[in-house]
Amino acid sequence: MRPLIATLLKELLLLYRDRMGLLVLFAMPAVLAVVVSLVQENVLKTTGAARMDVLFVDQDRQTLGPLIQEQLARIENLTLVTELDGRAIDVEQARRLVDKGRYEVCIVVPAGLTAAVRSRTGDQIAEAFAGEAVPGGPPPPHLSVYFDPLVQGVFRSSLMNALGRMALAMELEIKARALSEALPARVRQALGAATGRMVADPGLPTVQLDPSWGGRRLMGVVSEQSRLKRLPTSVQQNVAAMSVFGIFFIVLPLCGIFIRERQEGTLARLRTLPVGYLTILAGKMGAYLAVCWVQFGFIVLVGKLVLPLLGTPVLELGADTPALAVTVTLVALAACGYGLMLGAVAGTLEQAAMFGAVSVVCAAAVGGLMVPVYVMPPAMQTLSAFSPLAWGLTAIIEIAAREGSLASVQRELLLLAAFCAATLAVAWARFGRCDRPAST
Amino acid sequence: MPPGLTGPGPAPHTLLLEAEGLAKTYPNSRAPALAQFSLSIAPGEIVGLLGPNGAGKTTAISLMTGLLPPDAGRVRVCGVDFREHPRQVRPWIGLVPQHIALYSRLTAAENLRYFGSMYGIGGRELKERVRACLATVGLADHEGGRIDAFSGGMRRRANLAVALLHRPRLLFLDEPTVGIDPQSRNLILERLAEMSRAGAGMLYTTHYIDEAERICSRVVVIDEGSVIAHGSPRELADAHPGCGDLGGLFLRLTGKALRD
Repeated sequence: MRPLIATLLKELLLLYRDRMGLLVLFAMPAVLAVVVSLVQENVLKTTGAARMDVLFVDQDRQTLGPLIQEQLARIENLTLVTELDGRAIDVEQARRLVDKGRYEVCIVVPAGLTAAVRSRTGDQIAEAFAGEAVPGGPPPPHLSVYFDPLVQGVFRSSLMNALGRMALAMELEIKARALSEALPARVRQALGAATGRMVADPGLPTVQLDPSWGGRRLMGVVSEQSRLKRLPTSVQQNVAAMSVFGIFFIVLPLCGIFIRERQEGTLARLRTLPVGYLTILAGKMGAYLAVCWVQFGFIVLVGKLVLPLLGTPVLELGADTPALAVTVTLVALAACGYGLMLGAVAGTLEQAAMFGAVSVVCAAAVGGLMVPVYVMPPAMQTLSAFSPLAWGLTAIIEIAAREGSLASVQRELLLLAAFCAATLAVAWARFGRCDRPAST
Repeated sequence: MPPGLTGPGPAPHTLLLEAEGLAKTYPNSRAPALAQFSLSIAPGEIVGLLGPNGAGKTTAISLMTGLLPPDAGRVRVCGVDFREHPRQVRPWIGLVPQHIALYSRLTAAENLRYFGSMYGIGGRELKERVRACLATVGLADHEGGRIDAFSGGMRRRANLAVALLHRPRLLFLDEPTVGIDPQSRNLILERLAEMSRAGAGMLYTTHYIDEAERICSRVVVIDEGSVIAHGSPRELADAHPGCGDLGGLFLRLTGKALRD
């Protein structure tokens, strides 16, 4: 037991004196969690999930312009900007601002829209009473929407859908109103023609349309509420992802110390000691396991205390704390195993640092720590199933955000345990192997 | 009191080390690094292992300390077969590697405490031994100094101190005085001589022939993996008249051609 504790304390002391290593271990994932959370807030903005300012230019200045403005103002998360510095915006200015990225979108109501719509409504009513459609004719007038070219397709389509719905409702209302006005006059005309005299007021029922008539839906589509008591937040996703990422970054200092031991000859000295290799490896793992826990706690504190100050939701970690503890421990053990294996296999510090960093970043990217797996191409989604970081992330999110338990993440935990065992076996075999000494 | 022969150890045995017929050929190498190497060391004896670069000195030490498995031959320490009972034998031996095999970010005392703990030593005893060992190598005033802040001589002395901490019966010293000043060198040699007088056995490899003449009771000269001469410095001088000193004899035996 004494050698195990001595090794554990020695590793902690070495790490404590490696300031750059500590910076990598603690500051890097915390900074990433903050930055990615804030960046994701911006992504939500461009995908329509957060409030955004939209330039609105009314060139029509008749009835429809203000009506459209009123309808647009009802769309959730949109704030219409019609003036800048106290002056109405013109189309050129609006397009320039959008092209420069100052605003993501600009909506223009063209001049003559009201007149054109009135004319087309009259024509269509006349066609309806005539019982035949007139083919051809000029194209319909349209609202113009200018997007910042960098705005994502998801936001474009959601805004265009909203505008389309609004236009449809307005069109329906305009047509219905026009029909309700035209129908009594036509009936009077028809009665007059049939009776041979003008009928002033035959007592026909009239159609009363309130302003929201066209907007009232006959059939709706509703996104149902999740059965989870607390809905997952982006902070949970980001903190979990960056925790796993940070935990796996212990690979760098761990394999660095291992390789330095080999290069400086301390490994040879260790191998002359009356202590088994497993004790030495276990001591190293124990130290880094403790470091991973401190690191996880640090990132959680950032999620609970720092991120809310920057406007994100407070981090929630779910109710099953023991399950979360087991999961984080297994993620840490998998990372330790990988670090030890890399330290045992890599020839030089440079090799280990390069391969370690690149492999962890690749596994993180493939594992869905940076972008969700479901947006990846099929081949990458298949690869994702082999990333230990993906297993860790899935398990932590399942417990922290989806009210999961040990039973629901047992597959991921088994995979992490197997990965740890396999990498440790390689490290142990390599550690016990005898190398040719530097001098013969 | 210098460390050595004062701690618990094996039953008294006439020979501390018996190496018989050791052979080693590395993978991807046709020539053997060591062939039919035999050596014995009695208590209190310092045996010098001399040879040019690449002669097989470090390979011999690696085989005798269990760092490498031999292709043939066997090693017994205090009568116990090393390969069969490594856990039993390891506390009886100490290794001073050619490299400074210490944790450079730890202090001298922290290094000693760590390696002492690995031998199962703890508490007050460990504290006393650390203090004694550092005093033995002249580092009593530097126990809190980090190894990476030490001079070359201090590092060499700390390297030696770690090997003495568990009071081994048999010490393997692989060029322990390389690259240090005469003062540090003198202190190390004095301490080794004291330990030898206290009964410790040592295998000492060096390129400094004068060191071997000064402290070694016997010398083994190897080249290209084979023993080419052995005996006391006096015996060797008598056997090869006209060489002047051990340095002249060494050059006559191993040649003047440069070795890589």
